Amino acid sequence: MGKVWSTLLTVAIAVSVTGALWVAANLAFNQVRVEWRRFVAIAYGAMGFLLGILVAGNRVTVHSQAGFLAFVWLPSLLAVVFAVVGVAINLSNSPRLKRAIGIGSGVGIGVLLGLLVREQYQPALSVGPLLGWTIGGALVVAAINNLRKRNPISGALVGGAIGAIFGGWGSAQLGSGTIVESILAMTIPAMLMGARVGLSSTPDSIGKARIDRRSRVVIFLGPALFFISIALVIPAIRTFYLSLLDARSKKFVKLDNYLETVKAKASWDSTKWTDMFTSRLFYMGIIALAVAVVVGVIAKKRTGRAVEIGNSTVAPLVVGVLLVLFAAFTSFRGTIVNNLWWVVTVVFFSTGLGLAIAVLADGAKHEKLAKSLIFMPLAISLVGASIIWRFMYVPRDATIEQTGVMNAVWVGLGRLSTGSGLPTIIGTVVIGVVLLGLVVVFGRALAKRAWARAALPGIGTALVGWFFVRYTGIIGAGVGGFQVKADGSIVPQAIGFFQEAPFNNVWLMVILIWIQAGFAMVIFSAAIKGVPTEILEAARVDGGTPSQIFWRITLPQIATTIGVVVTTLIVLVMKVFDIVKVVTNGNFGTQVLANDMYFQAFQSGNTGRGAALAIILFVSVLPVMIFNIRRMQSES
Amino acid sequence: MNRSWLKLAALPMVLALVASACSDDNKSSKSTEAGGDDSLAGSKVLITGPERDDPSVGAINTALKVFGDAHGIEITYVGDADWEANISTQVEGGNPPDIGIFPQPGKLADFARDGALVALDDAAKAAVATNWSTDYSNYANVDGVQYGVPVKTDLKSIVWYKPAAFADAGYEVPATYDEFVALVDEMAAAGGPKPLCVGIESGGATGWPFTDWTEEMVLRQDGGDVYDQWVNHEIPFDDPRIVTAMDTVLNLWSDDNVFASGGNIAATNFGDNAQPLLDGQCFMHRQASFFSGFFPAGTAFADGSADAIDVFYFPDINGDKPVLTAGTYAAGFNDNPATMAVLAYMSTPQYAQDRQAEQTRLLDGGLSGFLSAAIGQDPSVYQPLEQGFLEILNNSELSRFDGSDLMPAAVGAGSFWTEGTSAVNGDKTAAEAAADIEKTWPT
Repeated sequence: MGKVWSTLLTVAIAVSVTGALWVAANLAFNQVRVEWRRFVAIAYGAMGFLLGILVAGNRVTVHSQAGFLAFVWLPSLLAVVFAVVGVAINLSNSPRLKRAIGIGSGVGIGVLLGLLVREQYQPALSVGPLLGWTIGGALVVAAINNLRKRNPISGALVGGAIGAIFGGWGSAQLGSGTIVESILAMTIPAMLMGARVGLSSTPDSIGKARIDRRSRVVIFLGPALFFISIALVIPAIRTFYLSLLDARSKKFVKLDNYLETVKAKASWDSTKWTDMFTSRLFYMGIIALAVAVVVGVIAKKRTGRAVEIGNSTVAPLVVGVLLVLFAAFTSFRGTIVNNLWWVVTVVFFSTGLGLAIAVLADGAKHEKLAKSLIFMPLAISLVGASIIWRFMYVPRDATIEQTGVMNAVWVGLGRLSTGSGLPTIIGTVVIGVVLLGLVVVFGRALAKRAWARAALPGIGTALVGWFFVRYTGIIGAGVGGFQVKADGSIVPQAIGFFQEAPFNNVWLMVILIWIQAGFAMVIFSAAIKGVPTEILEAARVDGGTPSQIFWRITLPQIATTIGVVVTTLIVLVMKVFDIVKVVTNGNFGTQVLANDMYFQAFQSGNTGRGAALAIILFVSVLPVMIFNIRRMQSES
Repeated sequence: MNRSWLKLAALPMVLALVASACSDDNKSSKSTEAGGDDSLAGSKVLITGPERDDPSVGAINTALKVFGDAHGIEITYVGDADWEANISTQVEGGNPPDIGIFPQPGKLADFARDGALVALDDAAKAAVATNWSTDYSNYANVDGVQYGVPVKTDLKSIVWYKPAAFADAGYEVPATYDEFVALVDEMAAAGGPKPLCVGIESGGATGWPFTDWTEEMVLRQDGGDVYDQWVNHEIPFDDPRIVTAMDTVLNLWSDDNVFASGGNIAATNFGDNAQPLLDGQCFMHRQASFFSGFFPAGTAFADGSADAIDVFYFPDINGDKPVLTAGTYAAGFNDNPATMAVLAYMSTPQYAQDRQAEQTRLLDGGLSGFLSAAIGQDPSVYQPLEQGFLEILNNSELSRFDGSDLMPAAVGAGSFWTEGTSAVNGDKTAAEAAADIEKTWPT
């Protein structure tokens, strides 16, 4: 049978079992009002069947592992026995008789199960824990029942039974006991449960109605709760439990895994943090921040506010903060720092680019086509995108031609810049003309004293001018991918985009930005279309410029959408795994938490560390998730 | 009324069906539980392992089918690309195959100590003792108990080269390590093709070729005893001798010596070193015997033709002729008679020959990439180049298994790869990398 078929069959079985359970539960509880005894038989039978599955399914009993019949006989037998016991208790009217039946059948079932326990599961009982657990459980549940104004005795019996299971099976050495001990360990809880069942009385019609009503709630919630618990809640709890154990899940090590993870140099390396103050990024950031302060002071004088959405202070401020953050991220190293770096960069640029494209494309010609093209990468899997970009970035040995686009351009530029033929001269002329144009625009704006409009051409002039002097060799030997050998000869040199730390991280982030900008754009585009046209028209009538309308009307209107996109992206980027796994596998200082988790758990075989990383990731995403859900709920 | 009863009856039926579906997995092993040798007929044995290319899977299955048909056992081999991760899950889930083929003896030992593996029975043990030198079988011996049988051998200590290119440039095959270093320097100084092709990129396992080189150097510079102490962590990983060995490798891998088709060593896939060797962009490439599979189809090997590729023994330093080997070991997850019989058979030269013959046939007479050091094989099933491998194996006086496969996974399949990659990439010095690896050694 092919994989497809077996998968389909599994799904079909799962769906039909769920459906059948659901229908059957409804049918069973339909009997509550109509035919109480039948309901009792069904309910007890179902419980017996479940108990049988629990015991036989975990291969606790003999013959429970040899095929189909061996597996179902015990559940079926227990179903019948339980059904009979249930009906018998309900038939009798005297409390004493009920109690006798309950205890008697409990003992009977316990002895039966005890006899069937396989040798390797027979527990070596010790009186201390058994008594302790039983009495403890009894006291706790009795106290709870007392608080809830229920019968404390029945609570004590149920609690005692649960405690006896823990004391008899949970805390004992399995496999070194005798048959007598396994009978005891089975009989004590069974007898207590039997006594509890013996106390039950047939409810009156109001009681029956209540059971009927409440049962529906459980039936409707049941499937969802069941699947959430087996797919999410139980694995999460088990992961947390594993994170407290050692590498091979044998020994309890408290919080050592967490401490080791946080302390490890690979996670948080601050040995070279002072590099931050010598890095170019840092100084550029400080300059940008200084510009922001100057502009802010001027803006304060003019409008009374230094920083305001859309005024000229924001741009240098954001650029400055980003540059300083980048300086910090390149100096503090390690997995945790990388994750933060990813979050800051990808979220900022995806949101920014998405918003810019959405605004610029809004109402433009061929809007749909343009947006489809930008949205397209989202349809590519992360692994596929990583492989595509790996081809873009790939370097080849300096002695052969470059095949990756990025390196071909870079090495080609180096060849152009250091050469002396016609192409080099054409290059010089083209760059010169562009520079001249920028200077003219910049000069005009300066002459008109339009400082704000001079800013962009000014920055452009500086950048192109710098490129021009480097390209022509006025400063340095040229620009691009080349290397000057000791003997003065010039050989090409490619960039190992993924090998040269720490900026290889940024090249990886580009991949995710490429994908997620499309996602952000689609959401923003929809939000922008949703801004009421009356408000926009009113603004236009009042003489608002397009940029004023954007900053003062559109942006505040879509603020909640921005919030949703940002939080969604934060959660997504925190968990980044595929790209790093495919491209560098965490080598060369690009490790992130999710890939480290996989590495620790499945490659190093350190389950504890892997689980601890999973929990760290989970906990750090949690606040954002809660914030997001809260917000969505308050909106609706 | 009656109908709703029928519906109710359907529930336990469906549940029972599911239960039986879940418990199905155990049938194959249980069906053979009762009885002695004669009841081998009709039993099934499932084998899983990391080899998953079509010729290997086909050849393993065919070789096993010969034995299976003779004894009425249905033997199936299934290759799994992510075997090492999946086998742990299967063992924890109580659903292992009957036999697993381990590429890393360290993992085999872990499983054996956890009680997941079953020791060989007397017949299988005897078969291993007859068919394999203890140099190989010892690695599947855990605390004095033999758990596995060697089924495949990789020879690592060989250098691939193109004799015609050597002849054209007037170079000779080096016989000692000093000659090898002198040759590398001579080639680098000549300014033509680079002496060495090196690449250590290998997806999730990036860095392993560096561990191989380091092991070769430790074995050559310091001998078998130090090698064993290092692998067993009786000396720390950052012992000066190990750091020296790492430094030797890194110095040999200088920019002037290495052609890295991926721009730098860390970015070059280990498999991408075959084409440059053929194209004459470098002269030599040290890689294990399985590397023949990375040359394009139609490449001539050791047949004297102009473009033929051949190998020479990676020369030794102290005259003790060490070889570094690797290989795979089959071990049983249960003690069914059929499982044990198949394990015993897999240790025989007959199995190796059958597999080799079939794999060569499937590749239309190409190099199989398979090699076995089982005693008593008929060498004629091997191609001339492969016979050369066997000769190197037989001539060696000191044989050691790939150390990174013997170290705990956290080191051998973890920090040794990643820190080694950092060192190759120039992010760390050899001493720093070794110290960081030492920190990750599980206590």
